[in-house]
Amino acid sequence: MRSILKVVSLLSLVALILPSILFLAGRVDLDKAKWIMVLATIIWFVTATGWMWKEPTKVQKDEVVVP
Amino acid sequence: MSEERQSQQTQAGDEFEREPVPQRRLLGFKSFVGMYAGEHCAGTELMIGPLFVAAGVSAFDVVVGLIAGNVLAVLSWVFLCAPIATRARLTLYYQLEKICGRQLVTLYNLANGVMFCFLAGAMVTVSATALGVWFKFPMPELSDNYPNSIGWVIAVLACGAMISVVAAYGYEVVSKVANVAAPWMVLVFIAFGLVGLRQFIDATGSEVNSLTDVWTLAKTHIWQGGDPHPGRVKFTFWHVAFFAWFCNMAMHIGMSDLSVLRFARKSWYAVASGTGMFLGHFLAWLAASILYAFQMHAEPGNTKVLPGPLAYQAAGLAGLICVIIAGWTTANPTIYRAGLAFQAIVPRSSRFRVTLITGAIATVAAMFPALAMRLLDFVALYGLVLMPMGAVVFVDFWLIPKLGLQGSYAELSGRHFNWAAFAAWIVTLAICLGIVFIVGNWTLYFVALPGWFIASAVYIVLSRVYQKQGRPAASL
Repeated sequence: MRSILKVVSLLSLVALILPSILFLAGRVDLDKAKWIMVLATIIWFVTATGWMWKEPTKVQKDEVVVP
Repeated sequence: MSEERQSQQTQAGDEFEREPVPQRRLLGFKSFVGMYAGEHCAGTELMIGPLFVAAGVSAFDVVVGLIAGNVLAVLSWVFLCAPIATRARLTLYYQLEKICGRQLVTLYNLANGVMFCFLAGAMVTVSATALGVWFKFPMPELSDNYPNSIGWVIAVLACGAMISVVAAYGYEVVSKVANVAAPWMVLVFIAFGLVGLRQFIDATGSEVNSLTDVWTLAKTHIWQGGDPHPGRVKFTFWHVAFFAWFCNMAMHIGMSDLSVLRFARKSWYAVASGTGMFLGHFLAWLAASILYAFQMHAEPGNTKVLPGPLAYQAAGLAGLICVIIAGWTTANPTIYRAGLAFQAIVPRSSRFRVTLITGAIATVAAMFPALAMRLLDFVALYGLVLMPMGAVVFVDFWLIPKLGLQGSYAELSGRHFNWAAFAAWIVTLAICLGIVFIVGNWTLYFVALPGWFIASAVYIVLSRVYQKQGRPAASL
């Protein structure tokens, strides 16, 4: 199950960036690209949460997000 | 264990706070790659890129300046911070306590906490601009210093209150969200740039068939150079390079990342900071600046730097979610740690209450657009304020023993306040800020470089005098 989630989430990242590349290449219009990006975003958060939702490491706990 | 000591342990986590990290707990290179990549893709990247354009930067200056500055930043992590981190394996706070004494560390905490608070305020501002897209209230102009509408105040209050409450309950959940969001966010930032590029190609009717054509488009339409917006410092190659180098000065030259890199098996693992620099401080800044340049091209009178609307026009709802998550997940840990820094000053206070108060201060600061619209200045100031203590740590570790003086003098002498370190801090700040006020605002981006040498020299000279006055028993 975990590996399926990983594969689907990684594919969703491809689906996230692909529309902007296709838009740059003039192969898709911006509205369609935006919708695909939203869908990819939803799929990413649903599937990636399944395998990336974990306690922050000690290193992450010590970090402060900076500009 | 005393309450004071407990608080200091809590201040930077609760493991190995007052002892070197043991061999068995060291981490591999990959841990640092992910951490740095996530840490430097913050909501504020969406402000910094556009502010470069507002500063009238040219294509060569911004691209080559960012490469040069980011390489210098990585080298600072590798050669200044990491060698000490992997030898001493102590947190910055404990290292400073040994050198400066507990009372001076408390003062440092106060400065750190105040800086974090305002930084978090800028992140709240970024999130609030996303709400403006939905609710259509008037949002601040580039030149605004004060809140310009009730809608803006309410949006900032709503974002700030939510972020503060979550931070007060502990930021574990937000950390998990940030962990999941990081790779997605980097790709959305890249998508901003790609979409913006195409929009420029269409709007200008340019023929783009090669990288040379892209460069021509960049020079003639995106980063045209010329005069900055009124009241802004003109950015040249040197401004961009020094800004990119020093914007995280508190972390590398200022040694804050001792706390992080003490877990690294080898000091060269600090090259992992390059992921954060080149994803966050190169790709994300350039992408955000392309969006702003396009806004200026499409509506020449519209100089507003508002990440929400910029992201929405480029990537729709996904862009808007990116702005909200980028602002939220980055403001949260910053408010949380600012709260911890303040709590260390008043150890008996409740962490929950202190974090809420810290969040409230950050929220009030976020209402004033001057903070976000002047983010370049603030970030330069943030590095400058914390840098002298990094110089003190560097000198104390490498030079002081070679000069026949005692390192970690506060620990050896049992003093709680090392006046030599305090004077090095204050004298450096006084000289650097004096230069900024007398010579001009543009020097703010550069003074930290001579400032580091001033802090080092003052600390060495005063340590010689100070240590003569009260030589510790151990050295007699």
